[in-house]
Amino acid sequence: MSQAAARTAAALLLAFSLALAGNDPTPRIVRLTAEPASIDLQGAGACHGLLVSAETDDGRLLDVTREAAISSSNPKIVAVEAGLVKALADGDVEISVAYSNQTAKLRVVAAETATAVVPSFRNEVVPVLTRYGCNQGGCHGKEAGQNGFKLSLRGFAPEEDYNRLIVESLGRRMNHASPDLSLVLAKATNRIPHRGGALFGPQTRAYDLLVQWIVAGTPNVKAGEATLASLEILGGGRRIAAGQEQQLLVRGIFSDGAVRDLTWLAKFYSNDASVLNVSDAGLVKAKREGASTIRAHFQDKVAVVGFTIPHAKAVDPALYEKRQNVLDGPVFDKLAELRIPPAPGCSDEEFFRRAYLDTLGTLPAPEEVTAFLGDPAADKRAKLPDQLFARPEFVDYWAQLLGDLLQNRKERDHDVRGSKGVRNFHQWLREQVAANRPWDGLARDVLTATGDTAKSPQIGYFVVTIGESREAPKTDLVAAVAQSFLGTRILCCKCHNHPDEKYTQDDYYHFAAFFSSISLDRQKPEKAATTLAVMSQREQEERKRAGDLEKQIQPLEISLKDKSEDETKKIQKQIDDKRKEMESCRKRADEARKAPVKVSQPRTGVALAPQPLDRSATEIPAGEDPRKVLAAWMTSPTNEYFSGSLVNRLWKHFLGVGLVDPVDDLRSSNPPTNPALWKTLNREFVGSGFNLRHVMTLILTSRVYQLGAATQPENENDRRFYSHYYAKRISAEVLLDAISQVTGIPDAFAGYPVGMRAIQLPDPGVESHFLKLFGQSDRVTACACERNGEVTLPQLLHLQNGASVVDKIKNPDGRLAKLLKEEADNAKVVDQLFLSVMGRHPREAESKTVTRLLSDGSERGEVLRDLFWALLNSKEFVFNH
Amino acid sequence: MLDVPMSRKVHAHCDGMARRDFLRIGALTPLGFTLGNFLGAKSAAAAEGKGKAKRVILVYLGGGLSHHDSFDLKPDAPSEIRGKYNSIKSNVTGLHVGELLPMMAQTMDKVALIRSGSHNNDHHETATNWVLSGRFGSAFGDYPAMGAVAAHETGFHGALPPYVSIPRNPSFTWELGRSAYLGGKYESFRAGDPNEANYKVRDLGALEPIDAKRASRRSELLSTVDSLGSQVKGDDQIGTYDEFHQRAAEMILSPEAQSAFDMEKEKKELRDRYGHSTFGQSCLLARRLVERGVKFVTINSGGWDHHAKIWEGLEKKLPEFDRGFSALIQDMADTGLLSETLVACFGEFGRTPKINKDNGRDHWGPVASLLFAGAGVRGGQVIGESDKNGERVTDRPVKPSDVSATIYNAMGIDHHGWLNSPDGRPIEILAEGDPIPELYV
Repeated sequence: MSQAAARTAAALLLAFSLALAGNDPTPRIVRLTAEPASIDLQGAGACHGLLVSAETDDGRLLDVTREAAISSSNPKIVAVEAGLVKALADGDVEISVAYSNQTAKLRVVAAETATAVVPSFRNEVVPVLTRYGCNQGGCHGKEAGQNGFKLSLRGFAPEEDYNRLIVESLGRRMNHASPDLSLVLAKATNRIPHRGGALFGPQTRAYDLLVQWIVAGTPNVKAGEATLASLEILGGGRRIAAGQEQQLLVRGIFSDGAVRDLTWLAKFYSNDASVLNVSDAGLVKAKREGASTIRAHFQDKVAVVGFTIPHAKAVDPALYEKRQNVLDGPVFDKLAELRIPPAPGCSDEEFFRRAYLDTLGTLPAPEEVTAFLGDPAADKRAKLPDQLFARPEFVDYWAQLLGDLLQNRKERDHDVRGSKGVRNFHQWLREQVAANRPWDGLARDVLTATGDTAKSPQIGYFVVTIGESREAPKTDLVAAVAQSFLGTRILCCKCHNHPDEKYTQDDYYHFAAFFSSISLDRQKPEKAATTLAVMSQREQEERKRAGDLEKQIQPLEISLKDKSEDETKKIQKQIDDKRKEMESCRKRADEARKAPVKVSQPRTGVALAPQPLDRSATEIPAGEDPRKVLAAWMTSPTNEYFSGSLVNRLWKHFLGVGLVDPVDDLRSSNPPTNPALWKTLNREFVGSGFNLRHVMTLILTSRVYQLGAATQPENENDRRFYSHYYAKRISAEVLLDAISQVTGIPDAFAGYPVGMRAIQLPDPGVESHFLKLFGQSDRVTACACERNGEVTLPQLLHLQNGASVVDKIKNPDGRLAKLLKEEADNAKVVDQLFLSVMGRHPREAESKTVTRLLSDGSERGEVLRDLFWALLNSKEFVFNH
Repeated sequence: MLDVPMSRKVHAHCDGMARRDFLRIGALTPLGFTLGNFLGAKSAAAAEGKGKAKRVILVYLGGGLSHHDSFDLKPDAPSEIRGKYNSIKSNVTGLHVGELLPMMAQTMDKVALIRSGSHNNDHHETATNWVLSGRFGSAFGDYPAMGAVAAHETGFHGALPPYVSIPRNPSFTWELGRSAYLGGKYESFRAGDPNEANYKVRDLGALEPIDAKRASRRSELLSTVDSLGSQVKGDDQIGTYDEFHQRAAEMILSPEAQSAFDMEKEKKELRDRYGHSTFGQSCLLARRLVERGVKFVTINSGGWDHHAKIWEGLEKKLPEFDRGFSALIQDMADTGLLSETLVACFGEFGRTPKINKDNGRDHWGPVASLLFAGAGVRGGQVIGESDKNGERVTDRPVKPSDVSATIYNAMGIDHHGWLNSPDGRPIEILAEGDPIPELYV
């Protein structure tokens, strides 16, 4: 097909797809733009793409790159080939683009075309291997390599890769004399059977680059060559329609100022594949309405752009107008932009039950429900948060949630703190919640704790994550701190660079270095309390040796009594030698204390000083606990990972879905779904002095929190923008307590007094089939996924037919039995049941059905027990809605 | 194809290539057996087993079975490696097994023994998740166990769940072999310990008489009060709740589901034959379940992690295993079930050749013994071998992904197929691995 015919066909397709999307089938184009405005090409054959965008009369930007006519003012200097501009000779040209009677221009300067082109191993060859998947984790990039050939994962260690490609195996992978016969090329094109298949063909840019490199003598990483400073993406940040396509252009800005088109080497990913697809070549396609982001990776850098795909149908703007506080502005602005209609507000019954469950983890009692429903005050909802904060259940529930975050559990089947260790830490958390301790203070107290576990129970955090290891930087502590306090997953970086984010292995060990001065002196609980001291491993070892020597000296001194002169001399010499050695150990220990803190990077062997994840400069005064410096950096008001991590967890807790989800995977390559709301929440949290209750109050009193859970067809697919309250299954402890509360039969937990509620349990060690069944967090790792809110078959079996549930319903000491004895009026009994289980009065249809069933001759108790069973098995009970 | 075995430290040149590999590839051509023929023959053999397994029973030996003392004895090794036991003849000429397995010795004609299971990990949690899913991931289980994938591909039909674990999933410090990103819906249904007196599946037995009238009343009341499902659409947890509520009700009310788990329904002689141990009765329960349509049953037999006092440990566990597993194979062969049921048996690794100072063996990834039977597998053969000390594989290494590819192939599941993670990311069922064609030759 000729180029012109292809362009016409593409244009028709574009118009057709726009028509399908419900837009004006023939948009009028008012302006054409070409990006970038100017391009510098270095070297013969250097290529660069461009993007052509057509602005319509209704303000939309359409991607017409593939449809526009592109021509060069001097094709002998710069030619246009397959949509790219290519340098042929030194000079300056103008590139013209035309589409639908509009034109635009851009300038291209070609230079250095006379110099021989030598591909860069670091910046071109290795990226080819990454782009085509040779060094991914499923193939040659994994620890064991593949079929005897190993590469560094995603090319994070080019120097090692060079060795493997050129030197290893007697150089059998390259053929310098006949490059096409090289094993690497034969395999990559599947000319020789390759388990990975044909990754690219022989007439492609990747193939040509590798041949060029082999012809140039397979040069190694060039000392002093320009490295990538940053990555940018053109073509993003647009509003498009479902079905519409947009090409992206990825550019790398190098340390020598050169800017190159890296689109063909970048790896593209969509952050929400149900909304946006992206091809390997960076062509984005909108699948349906919504909003999401695309990220492009090159070497260790990531760039992200977003797209908004509003619904086709307009929505009455009045629906978005009502705002109750600062949180509502960003939420409803976003919904308006996406044209997703919000649900109507929830009823008082729904609000009351919801607020109780989310804030107290407890169902309201029937009297509380009727009191709230009957309260005529206009501001009764606004007054509720402060009333809830004053309740003892508030402390119970939030101490438990913080216990999840800080992994409060027994160390293993034995715990060096004894049986009280977990409870003491739990008690400490209760005190912090009760005092509304600001989050930065609480975090500092945990991170910089020293002393013994009896007086500073928060040391338990270190006991659990460090365990018996003598070297804290090598343990789970490092990744746990990053995950729990900064919402960042860096565990990948222990062995290689982060696959999705800019963190490198070096960053990991720089961060780990903050923990190199932790010395846990573990003691048997019957003998002494375990203590945490600030001491490097070297200092630990020297002081331990000195201590051992001192212990050896004492009996020797005692034995001096009643010895002959000769023996005395011998023993005295031993004592003197040991004393001398002890003094040297102490001296070395003192030196170690003053020495700068460093951790050895296991792969490179380089000693790395403590440095935070954002690579900002840090000074650790000699002898100072590096954790203090870390805590200061973390709790800084400008550290958005610290404030954002917690505020996002709070948001997810109340609203069901985080602004970033999963909540412990904050990264620039996975931005919040509502950046304006993110900024507002962080500002409120930090501005209030990291006050959790302040944020909770804002959430509870906002309009968005008080939307109904019922959906309409236009918003039922929304799971990210809060157009309705997302109904969520009640968590394990809360559900168990709810069943106990409404049936009046408490559960018994081994080792605890009867009447203790599940939300008061200090740790998951208690045997409870119900809690395990409903996804209680084991607190084994710092991952937020430890707590599981899903619905499973065994759960439903248990609710329908579990002995404990059935017994609680039938129990003669239970609430229903008491009601049946004391209350003759069935309507009143039914009302009480509905109020306690559902938090509302029965509806007319429900009352009618029960009345009918009660009058068909069946036994009263049996009918009402069946009603109770039905209520406890309903979604309206089991879900918070 | 350059088929380079994973551990080529033996006889290796300094560049890591083993001479015998060059010989192996080169030697085939003069015989007129080209690479094309070779690959073709391999896939034809694998095609033999494809889809033959209507169901799978996986016997998982958590902790790591000592191959030196069970299926891969080294009578000529020095005593600190050889161990305590002698080999005994089996009913397959030339094949010997350990003396603690006399009943298995009479069943080996139906079993294919792989002596070259091999990988490079010795961490319980990581290796367990690896062998149960076929994909290497973290200790916390990034990939779904094969049973969960089978449940996902099969779906829920009839009163019984598609994937059952007896008594439950394996665990060390935390639960392993879970459904990972497939979610709670496809998690195994825990059957509990069928050897218990008055064994009942938790929450399954009807606790009080619910006659048809009462059942219908409950159902009416529930649909009257529970309107949340009609108000909230697009939420998959709400949809799942309704689906599972229905299934749970069916299980409780259906006589089939109740009787499937009723061990009393089996003749006493048969229960004796399997042996009155948790393992033995689990094998029997597994047979009952697959007969009644359960697609994938995992029997989790833990406690094989004999770091100390291994003889005492094995003398307790191997006889139970011997009796139960041989009974399972024989019973299913007698009833014709075996031809449609794939049985696989393995642990997360083997154990060290050298006996340690506590009279035990430690973890050893490079060599392990694996058993396969049923669904077209040719019994009475040995695939692969380990060296004279049981330390390295010398022939035909079999990776965890190969084992999983074999099992998926037998079930007719394309292991290159894609499943979706909760955030919509497509994930291949297996990243690598090929079905083991020798099983069917």
